[in-house]
Amino acid sequence: MAITVDPHRPIRPDHDLGLSVPKREVKPAPDRWRNQLGKYRVWRYEELCKKCGKCAEICPNGVHVRPEGYAGFVRPLESKCTAETCKKNGTYCVDNCPQKALRTEVLPLYKSLGDFRWTADLILSTWHMAETGELPEGELESEVGNSGGGFDKIRFKFPENGQRTNPDEISTAIPLNRREDGRPKITIDLPVYGGGMSFGSVSPVTILSKARAATAWNIFSCTGEGGYIDRLIPYKDHMITQVATGLFGVREETIRRARIVEFKYAQGAKPGLGGHLLGDKNTPAVAAMRGAVPGTSLFSPFPFHSVYSIEDHKKHVDWIRHVNPRALVSAKVSTPIDVDMVAVGSYFAGANIVHLDGSYGGTGAAPDIAKKNIAMPIEYAIPKVARFLVEEGIRDEVTLIVSGGIRTPWDMAKAIALGADGVVIGTPEMVALGCIRCGKCESGKGCARGIATTDAEMVKKMDIEWGTQRLINMLHAWRLQLVDILSRFGMSDVKELRGRTDLLRHLDYEEA
Amino acid sequence: MSIADKLIQSRQWMMEGWSPSEPAHTEEEGGCGVTGFACSIPVGGKHIYEPSVQMHNRGNGKGGGIAAVGLVPEQMGVTREILDNDYILQIALLDPKCLNTVEAEFVTPMFDVHHSQSVPHVEDYREIDGLDVRPPDIQRYFVKPKKDVLAKFAQERGLVGLGERDIEEEFMYQNAFALNTQYYAALGDKQAFVMSQGRNMIILKIVGYAELIVNYYQLDDFKAHVWIAHQRYPTRGRVWHPGGAHPFCGMNEALVHNGDFANYYSVCEYLAQRNIKPLFLTDTEVSILVFDLWNRVYKYPLEYIIEGLAPTSERDFDMLPKEKQEVYRRIQQGHIHASPDGPWFFIIARNDVENDAFQLLGITDTAMLRPQVFALQDGEVQIGLVCSEKQAIDATLASLACEDSRFCTVADDYWNARGGSYTDGGSFMFTVKHQGDGTYKLNCTDKFGRERRAKSREQRTGDPVELASAVQGISSALTDVSGWSLFQVLRSASAGMSLEDFKAFCTRVAESAKTDPERAAAINAFTLMIDRRYQTGPNQRGRIVEAVNKALAAVLGGVPSITGEAASKYARIDWETRGMLRAPNGLEEVLVVNGHDFPPEGDECDARVVYEAYELGWKQFICHGYVGQRFLGVGLGPDSQGCVIDAYDSTGDYLASGLDGATVTVHGNAQDQLAQIMREGRLVVHGDVGQTFMYGAKGGTVYVKGNAAGRPLINSVGRPRVTINGTCLDFLAESFMAGDPLNGGGFVILNGVRLDEDGSVIDLDTPYSGSNLFSLASGGAIYVRDPHMTLDNEQLNGGEYYELTDADWQLIKPYLEENEQLFDIPVSRLLTVDGTEMDPSKIYRKVAPAQKKVAAAAATAADDDVMNNDEESDE
Repeated sequence: MAITVDPHRPIRPDHDLGLSVPKREVKPAPDRWRNQLGKYRVWRYEELCKKCGKCAEICPNGVHVRPEGYAGFVRPLESKCTAETCKKNGTYCVDNCPQKALRTEVLPLYKSLGDFRWTADLILSTWHMAETGELPEGELESEVGNSGGGFDKIRFKFPENGQRTNPDEISTAIPLNRREDGRPKITIDLPVYGGGMSFGSVSPVTILSKARAATAWNIFSCTGEGGYIDRLIPYKDHMITQVATGLFGVREETIRRARIVEFKYAQGAKPGLGGHLLGDKNTPAVAAMRGAVPGTSLFSPFPFHSVYSIEDHKKHVDWIRHVNPRALVSAKVSTPIDVDMVAVGSYFAGANIVHLDGSYGGTGAAPDIAKKNIAMPIEYAIPKVARFLVEEGIRDEVTLIVSGGIRTPWDMAKAIALGADGVVIGTPEMVALGCIRCGKCESGKGCARGIATTDAEMVKKMDIEWGTQRLINMLHAWRLQLVDILSRFGMSDVKELRGRTDLLRHLDYEEA
Repeated sequence: MSIADKLIQSRQWMMEGWSPSEPAHTEEEGGCGVTGFACSIPVGGKHIYEPSVQMHNRGNGKGGGIAAVGLVPEQMGVTREILDNDYILQIALLDPKCLNTVEAEFVTPMFDVHHSQSVPHVEDYREIDGLDVRPPDIQRYFVKPKKDVLAKFAQERGLVGLGERDIEEEFMYQNAFALNTQYYAALGDKQAFVMSQGRNMIILKIVGYAELIVNYYQLDDFKAHVWIAHQRYPTRGRVWHPGGAHPFCGMNEALVHNGDFANYYSVCEYLAQRNIKPLFLTDTEVSILVFDLWNRVYKYPLEYIIEGLAPTSERDFDMLPKEKQEVYRRIQQGHIHASPDGPWFFIIARNDVENDAFQLLGITDTAMLRPQVFALQDGEVQIGLVCSEKQAIDATLASLACEDSRFCTVADDYWNARGGSYTDGGSFMFTVKHQGDGTYKLNCTDKFGRERRAKSREQRTGDPVELASAVQGISSALTDVSGWSLFQVLRSASAGMSLEDFKAFCTRVAESAKTDPERAAAINAFTLMIDRRYQTGPNQRGRIVEAVNKALAAVLGGVPSITGEAASKYARIDWETRGMLRAPNGLEEVLVVNGHDFPPEGDECDARVVYEAYELGWKQFICHGYVGQRFLGVGLGPDSQGCVIDAYDSTGDYLASGLDGATVTVHGNAQDQLAQIMREGRLVVHGDVGQTFMYGAKGGTVYVKGNAAGRPLINSVGRPRVTINGTCLDFLAESFMAGDPLNGGGFVILNGVRLDEDGSVIDLDTPYSGSNLFSLASGGAIYVRDPHMTLDNEQLNGGEYYELTDADWQLIKPYLEENEQLFDIPVSRLLTVDGTEMDPSKIYRKVAPAQKKVAAAAATAADDDVMNNDEESDE
C-alpha cells in the first residue's frame, strides 16, 4: 500500500509542533536509558553500608547520590566512575569506605564495546561530550583509537612553552565558496558539517536532530539520497541537497531550495558499490518519499549512469546549476589511486567543494569486504590532493572537505593540518545519539536504539529535542578541543592550521 | 617462425628499461568529444571546423587534434605516385632548435626524401583567439626508407623473407619509436615526437580546441576524404604541449578516443609481452598500439580486430552462428587482456592501402557507456558521419551544404550502435573506395560486413502536382488553422513535384502566412511534414525536410520581435534580443525562441530565457534553431502544467530533465539524458532518444517514435508511462521500481517497429536484442510487442514473462491510441501479424518482477506512516 504525500500540504514551522528553536547553547542531555554504560560497575553492599555518606563526600564525579530527604542512596551512577584515577588520587571510594561496603570493577560490557577504530573510550567520550558539551576528563582515551594506523598514529608536535593565543579570539569559521564565480560566499562557523544520511537509512528524528544542530551552529547537514522530507524545509538554509546515483527523491524544488547541492559519486566506505536499503526498512513512508514500492529493497547504482567521464560530470554540474544558479556545488568522491586527478577535474568542471571520502567510514550498511579495503585511507589522500591542487595553482579556489573516519575533534584538526579545509562527519553524530557501533544498521527494522531505523515504534525511542541537544553539545566540545589545539600553536584562525604537515608527526616514521 | 613472431622478436630492443614492477603512470583524462566523417569527394578542413566547435563543451581547450586521410596530391606539392606510395613523416618540434639534429639522426640517413616542407601556419599564434600555447612547428617529409638501410634492418632484426611493405612499415615504426624515445620519452625536456607517419594521411594536434588547428595550420581549403577531430579534456590544469592529445597514429591509421580504461595496466602488460612499450602514457596510445599489433603484425581482418576490442559475450555470443563462435572464442582466449575495459568509444580514420580505400570506423564499448551517433547520406555524393553528439553531424552537413549543393543538411539515416552485439557488432565503417576511374564511392558496413544502406529511394512518382496551381491553393489551405489541409497539399507536392518546385512552393507558403491563424496553419503543417513519414516520390526525404525546415524557419523568423509592441499572438526572441525579454502583453501567447546563437549551457543559455519567460507568464514556446543547446525545459519547477514547449532541430542533452507538469515535444531526434527525474507532464519525441533516457524518472507520460539508446528508464520509480515504438539498445528498465502498473504504477510499452520512408509500419526482427531486460527490477512492467516470441529467459535477471491479461490490455490501450494519434502508428496495425489481426494477448507479453514472498515489512508496516506518526507525537 503506497502513501501519497500531498506536495501542497502546508509546512508548519517546528515551533508550531511544540519544538524549540535550536540555539547554540549547552544544556545537559543525559543518556536516554536509565543505566548509562560506563567503564565501571559499582556495587554497594546494602547490608554493610551504614549510610555514613563518606563515599558521596569523596567522589569527584558524583557517582554516589543520596536524594534530599532520603536516608539511603540511589543506585550508583556508575557511568561517571573513574576508579583507576581515584585510586591514584586518593579519592577512591572503595578504599575510603569504613565499612568496605563498596566494590568496583571494569564493566564487562565496556570490554566488549566498540572496536579497534572506535574504541570503547572513544564511544564513551563522545557520549560525554554529547551529554555535557565539555571535553572528557579523567581516564578515557579521547584522542586516538586503537587501530594501529591512520590518525591513531599521527600526533601533533605542540611547541613547548609556546605563546598561547586567547581562546576567545580564535576563529573556527571557514568559507565554502572560494571561487570568484558570482555565487554566494557561504561561511560556516565550524570546519565540520554533517554527512548525508537518507530518510530510510535513519529515522526522521535523527535527520531533524542533525538539521537542527547544524542550524544552531551555522553549519550544514545533508539530506542523503532518500529525498527531502517536508519537515526539513524550515532548516533549508543549513541543508545540503544530495544528488546521488539512485536519484531517489531528487526533484527540481529540492535542488532549488538548497544553498549547496552535493553530487555523491562514491562513498569511501564502498567505492564501486551503490547504496542499498533493504526491504524491511523501506516502509510505506520511505517508499512514498522515493516514489518506490514499499517493502522492496532499493538499490542505487554505481556510478551515475549518465556520468562516465569528466565532460559528463561537467554537464551534470551544469544541469544542477541551471536548475539553481545560486547553489554551490560539492562533488563527493571516494579516494582511488588517482584521487588527485579526480579532485582537479571536479574543480575544473565547476565544483566549489571537493569532498573526499576515505576508506575508514561507513556504518553497518557498508559491506565489510569493502570497508577499509578499497579506497585510499584519508590521511594519505588529503596531502596527495592538497599538494596537487597547489601544483595546479588552484588550492585557494577549492574548498577541500574530507570525511571517512573522522571520529574526534583531534581527527578533524589532524585532517586540517594535513591539508583539508574542513571535515564531514557521520558516525560521531550517530554515537552522540547513542549508537554503540553494533553494525546492524541495515538489517531487519534497523537500529535497536532507534537511530538508524524507520520503524514507527523504534523511531519513538528518541526525541528530537534531546537529539538536537546531544549534537549541539558534541559540536560545542569539538570546538573547545579545536580552539585549544589552535591556542597551543599560537594560532588565531583555523585557516592557519591548514596544510601544516610540519606540525604533525607519525609514530611509524619517527627517527629513532 | 611466423611473420608475427618475427616482427615481435625484432622489437626486443625496444623493451629496454621496461620494468613490470613499475608501470608508467597514465596521463589522466576523462571523456572527450569526437567527431568524424568520410566523404566520396575530398572536402576542405573548414568542414571539420564547425562540428569541432559544436563539441566544445566536451573538451576544455587543453588538447585538440585532427586527422585527414585521402589527400589531394597538388595541395601537398607532390605527384599522385609519391602521395600514394610514400610515408608522410610529420615530426612535431616542441623545441624548434632540434630540427637539424633530429633530421641528421632519424631522417637523412634513413630515407629517400622526395619532398619536405615546414607545415605552413599563421605567423603569430596569438592572432588566433583562444590559442594560448604556441603549437609545435611541424616538419613534413615524404619518404621511402633507403634500400640499403632497409636491407640492413631486415638482416639485423631477423625480418628477411617478409614482404617489402611489411619490412618498410616495421622500419617506420621502430624508427619513430627510437626518435620518440630519445626526444620525447627520455628524461629531460621533451623536444620532438612523430605526430604521424602513415601513407596519404596526416595528424595535427595542439594545446587548444581542435578547430583552432584549422585556423593555425590554414586548413580551410585543404582537402581530404576522411576527417576526424578530437576535443580533449585532460584533468590537469596546465598543459604545455600536445604530445598527449589525440589522434594517435598507428601505421596508416589515426585513432581518437572518448572515455578511459579501467585496465590500462593490464593492456600495457599484454603489449609488453609482445615487445611493445607505450611512450605517451595515455589510453589512446595503447589503443592504437593494440590496433596496430592486430592489424599489421597478426594481420587480422577488421572484423576480428573489432571483436578483440569489443568482445561478443553472453547471450550475444550465443546468438552468433557456430562458425563465428569458434573464431571469436579463439580471439577472446588470446586477447581478452587487451580488450579495453570501461567506457570508451573509438573513431578511426584509416588508409586501407591494400584495398585502395579510405575508411572511417566507429567502435563502441560493450556497455555503451559513451554516447555516439552514426549517420549516412546517400546521393550524388555520399557521406558517412560519426560523432559524440548529433548536432556535430548536422553542423558538418550544414557546413558542407553551404558550399556544395550536392550535400543535404539532413542525413538520410541516424542511428546508435551497441558494442559487442550480435546484430551489428556495435561498429560501423564507412569505406571510400576508389572506382578505378578517378572517382570514389562510399558504402557503409557493420562489423560483420553487412551493408547498411541509406534508405532505398522509392522511384514511384506521386500524381504530378503543378506548382502554379498548388500556389493558388495556398490561401485556402491556410484557413485551416490545424495545418492539416496544408499538410495534405504539401505531402502530395513532395511526391508530385520536382525538388526545385517543392522548395519554391514551401517558400511561397512561408511568404503567404501573414496573419496569426495563417502562421499557425503553416507552422502546424510544416511540423507535420517534419514529424510524419510519407511517400516523397523521386525526392529524397532529407531534401524535403531540408526545404520544410527552411520554410518553417522563415515563418518563425517573420513573427514580430519581442523588442516591438505586442502585435501578434507570437513574439520572437533570439540571442541579440534576449535582454529585452518581457511579460506577454495583449494578444501575445507564444514565444518563439531562436536558440541558434546561444551558448549550450550556463547562465546565458537559451533554456534560461525560456525559464525566465515562463516566470514572466509565457506559457507556450516554439524553440528552434538548435545546435545542441542543452537543458531545454529544465528549471520550470513543480506544477508547470499548462506550459507547452515545441522544440525543433538539434536539441541537446538533458532536455526536459526534471519536468514536472509541462508538455514538451521534440520534432526530430533527441539526445542523451532526456527526462531524467521527470515527475509529471508529457514528453513526445518524433524520433530517437539517446543514452540514459528517463534515468531516475518518477512519472510522466512519454511517447517516443523511434528507438532509445542504452540504459533507458534505469532506476526509475513511481509511475512513468512510456511508449517506445522502436527498440532499446540494452539495459532497459534496470532496477525499475515503479510499483504495480495495474494499481497506479509505471510501465513501458515497447512496440519493436519502425516506420519506413513511406510511413509504413515495419516489424523489427526482434523488439529487443539486448541481453539485459528489466534486470533487478522490483516494480513496474514492460509490455513488449513480441508476436514471434523472440525474447527469451536469458535476457531476464529477476523478471518473468507473463501473459497479457485483459486488465493489462485495458491499461495500455489508451496509450497505444494516443500513440496512433501522435505518430500514425495504428493500433490495428500493431495487432496485425503477417496480415492477420490477432488478440492482444497473442501480440504483447508482459515482463514484470518474478513472484516472490513479499518482504515482511510491506505487510506489517502498511499502517504506520512514520512521518505522520512522528508529527503527531510531537504535538
